[in-house]
Amino acid sequence: MEEKPNHKADQKIGKVFLVFAGICIVALPLVVFSAITYAPKEIIAAVLETASFDFDHNGKTIFEKYDLISDAYLKSTSTGRTLSQYYSRRQYPGSPPEIPHPVEAHGITLGCLTCHASGGWTESLKKITPVTPHADLESCMQCHVRPVTDTLFRAIDWRSIPPPRLGRSHLPGAPVPIPHDLQMRGNCIACHVGPGTVAAIRVEHPSRGNCRQCHVPDLQVEPFRR
Amino acid sequence: MNISRREFIKLVAAQSAAATAGVLFPGISFGAWEKLDLSSGRIKWKKTPCRFCGTGCGLLVGVAGGRAVAVKGDPNCSVNKGLCCVKGYHSIQVLYGKDRVTEALVRKNDKLVEVSLKEALDLVAAKMKETIKDHGKDAVAIYGSGQWSIPDGYVASKLFKGCIGTNNVEANARLCMASAVTGFLTSFGLDEPMGCYDDIDHADVFITWGNNMAEMHPVLFSRMLANRKSKGHIKIIDFATRTTRSSQASDKSILFRPQTDLAVANAICYEIIHNKWVNWDFVNKHVSFHKGKTNIGYGIEDHFKFKDKAETVDFEQFKAFLKDYTPEKVEKISGVSAQDIKYLASLYGNPDKKVTSFWCMGPNQHTRGTWINNLIYNIHLLVGKISTPGNSPFSLTGQPSACGTVREVGTLTHKLPHGVVMKEKARQLAAKIWNVPVTNIDPKPTYHTVEMFRALDRGDIRLMWIQATNPMVTMPNLNRYRDGAQKEDRFVVVSEIYPTPTYDIADVVLPSALWIEREGFFGNSERRTQHNEQITPTPGNTMCNSWQLIEVARRLGYEKQFPWGRETHIEDIWNEYIQFHDNPKHRMAPYKVLQARSGVQWPFVNGMETKWRFNPKYDPAAKGEGFDFYGKPDHRAWIWLRPYEPAAESPDSEYPFWLNTGRVLEHWHTGSMTRRIPILHRAVPSSYVEINADDAARLGIVNGSKVKISSRRGSVKMPASINGRGIPPKGMVFVPFFDEKYLINEVTLDAFCPISKQPDYKKCAVKVERG
Repeated sequence: MEEKPNHKADQKIGKVFLVFAGICIVALPLVVFSAITYAPKEIIAAVLETASFDFDHNGKTIFEKYDLISDAYLKSTSTGRTLSQYYSRRQYPGSPPEIPHPVEAHGITLGCLTCHASGGWTESLKKITPVTPHADLESCMQCHVRPVTDTLFRAIDWRSIPPPRLGRSHLPGAPVPIPHDLQMRGNCIACHVGPGTVAAIRVEHPSRGNCRQCHVPDLQVEPFRR
Repeated sequence: MNISRREFIKLVAAQSAAATAGVLFPGISFGAWEKLDLSSGRIKWKKTPCRFCGTGCGLLVGVAGGRAVAVKGDPNCSVNKGLCCVKGYHSIQVLYGKDRVTEALVRKNDKLVEVSLKEALDLVAAKMKETIKDHGKDAVAIYGSGQWSIPDGYVASKLFKGCIGTNNVEANARLCMASAVTGFLTSFGLDEPMGCYDDIDHADVFITWGNNMAEMHPVLFSRMLANRKSKGHIKIIDFATRTTRSSQASDKSILFRPQTDLAVANAICYEIIHNKWVNWDFVNKHVSFHKGKTNIGYGIEDHFKFKDKAETVDFEQFKAFLKDYTPEKVEKISGVSAQDIKYLASLYGNPDKKVTSFWCMGPNQHTRGTWINNLIYNIHLLVGKISTPGNSPFSLTGQPSACGTVREVGTLTHKLPHGVVMKEKARQLAAKIWNVPVTNIDPKPTYHTVEMFRALDRGDIRLMWIQATNPMVTMPNLNRYRDGAQKEDRFVVVSEIYPTPTYDIADVVLPSALWIEREGFFGNSERRTQHNEQITPTPGNTMCNSWQLIEVARRLGYEKQFPWGRETHIEDIWNEYIQFHDNPKHRMAPYKVLQARSGVQWPFVNGMETKWRFNPKYDPAAKGEGFDFYGKPDHRAWIWLRPYEPAAESPDSEYPFWLNTGRVLEHWHTGSMTRRIPILHRAVPSSYVEINADDAARLGIVNGSKVKISSRRGSVKMPASINGRGIPPKGMVFVPFFDEKYLINEVTLDAFCPISKQPDYKKCAVKVERG
């Protein structure tokens, strides 16, 4: 009578096998179908073509840049550039700012990056230069233009959203979230650290290079719901 | 003022928030724009192609409180990968100019007065009926645009060609892309580039032909610069008639005398053969040689007719033909040193370098536009640098849907959505899909654009409906065509979004919905079709151009052909239209796919886009080994023997300067949109005439002083720009055409390429004086 349990065990294996076979029969057409519709070139292309603007893709460059910045620069204070000046050069939060100083009309890259890649004192303008968060793009005049008049061609009814409020910590004393889009502006230290920055958005702890350890994006999207 | 409870709470919240901000950050005013209230801070991002140039950048438009409030580049769009230009970033402001046309207007006692939209549409339909009855069907015409959404052009073609039965359908793309089309058709038998923008990421050398890409296609130009920066070995050569921002950013700038690009291109071919750089394997298998007529004229006179005749020749005849184009001989014609010609040839000839050529209006707006397009293809074909990643003769477009709406839908007098009116099979297919008798479709083309405006002047055309373009700024030899349009018994209907010089001469103005105020499709330079949903509400009584046409069509009794519902008509039109292209050479993506993606390239076959045509590795319609130029009956690409012939009008003792016209980065087309965008207008508030410093000194002209430019046709007085953004060589002046205050087209000449019928805006003779 010792055979019986073995027999039962065999049945059990058989059942498991049967279920497995069943799953295979159901799954096979699905596998075949997905193989037919599988478009590896398209998927690979879609993955490769996705632009890498995000901090997570540019992290290495950003950290390397950060390493090159001197301690003195990190700790130096601003020239008193204000948020109101900052926004007066923009048509909406996040728009490319206009050029607020004279530029030579001729040329295209104009050597903008000579000053705006790394900042510092500009003798001719008697000002500390703000740093661009996207120094890898060199065709500057593609997006930034120099106004030569204040008048408009025709009046416009232009409105946009208010700029993000500052200091929107979710708990008292908690690190503030990032209130703006990070596309083209993933390099935090360009705008938030150093002497050329707007005073109101300059961080007080510039030596902590890993900004995103505490500051996370809060882009005013719908609240998370399960 | 009525305020609902909900609005009241919003208002209080906004005010208290603003007050709090003021307390927290005294002295800070938040920005230079009028704010929406704080509850609108939740932005929804929607995808759309950009409204402006033919690059076709993907934009994400931020919407809050029912208004477009912000723009960012669409990272999922392979055209621009998340980056735009200054026009794209501020494009949404074009919706909100305070002088937006939102109501219909009808001219009464020589004044445009507001009427109901119904009255205006009734009048248009009644006038069309009356004109057809009194003067025949060919007395009514529609003049559309490369800014037409695809359904607009499709509906226009169906109404005029299919229902009314006249081939009086033209579009402003005749003024910008016609030579590109005839270039493609004569060399390859099929329109539109074989390559795509991905070529930029593969090429080693870029040669731009008369093309200031830094300003005209900035997003593509900076993509070349980014490649050069990251790879190091890449060369950009600017081959042009004046020094521009593109010349500054290029590795080398080579200047040629206007019109002599024809000679230089032939000299490059001469050098390639002379130095044994011909790719014989490619030429033997995939190329055939042909010649056409010469001394083909300039079309300056009314009723000008020309038909080319192709004659097959062989390589030896081609080689003999090139004997007149040695670098040394061409140096004398073109002003380009023999050394530079040899340098250009060596770049094309080097078997280890992938070469991409770019061009746009330089070769297209050219009285030998078809020829110079052929000649650039000749160079690429001789060395076999075509239809593979990075090897690309690439003809760029200037308008967002010149390809999509004009070239693909075929809104030109000789075209149908598939094929030409002259071919019975094409007429039968159109009649079947359009549900009209085949006899409706006239087998004879009528007028190309210049001749159409001449016909309006002569009175052969009595009624013209103009949509989405501004010919009273852009027609060459403008004085004649404006006078013609304003004659007694001429009736001009204008579908517009803002007052323009074309609006000024209208008898009826129909208020149009614009871009993201309606659903639609554009098609860009690289065979990419791009869908946008309606993102913002239509203002006032505006209506999309498609629906205006449908309303009039129904009034004319064509309800059966235009049965669609207001809500779904764009999708329905798409589904009908793509039946025309249902073959592996041109299949379009289905509506749902276009809705989901940031543009899809045709041919779209078995769920795959085609990046490089004529190459079996990438193109399912191409068969066999290597390449298959299936557009031609011999399955070969055609090299053409095209000589150098002079321009229609060259400087002489009385009119000693070349006049060249074009654009600036900030303004697009006639500026009726970009000038209403504050940052763009403030950067370039007015047009100017660029003049060489030596010429200026000789004539006593200083920067900003008034200069009088006159030709045999008209004159304009405008401020001078010396050593400004662009620098013309001695003996040339350059004028951006966007400014309606300085109508430079009153000076230009209406000569055109006899094959493409595209006018030459880059060359005529003028006198320059202190104004």
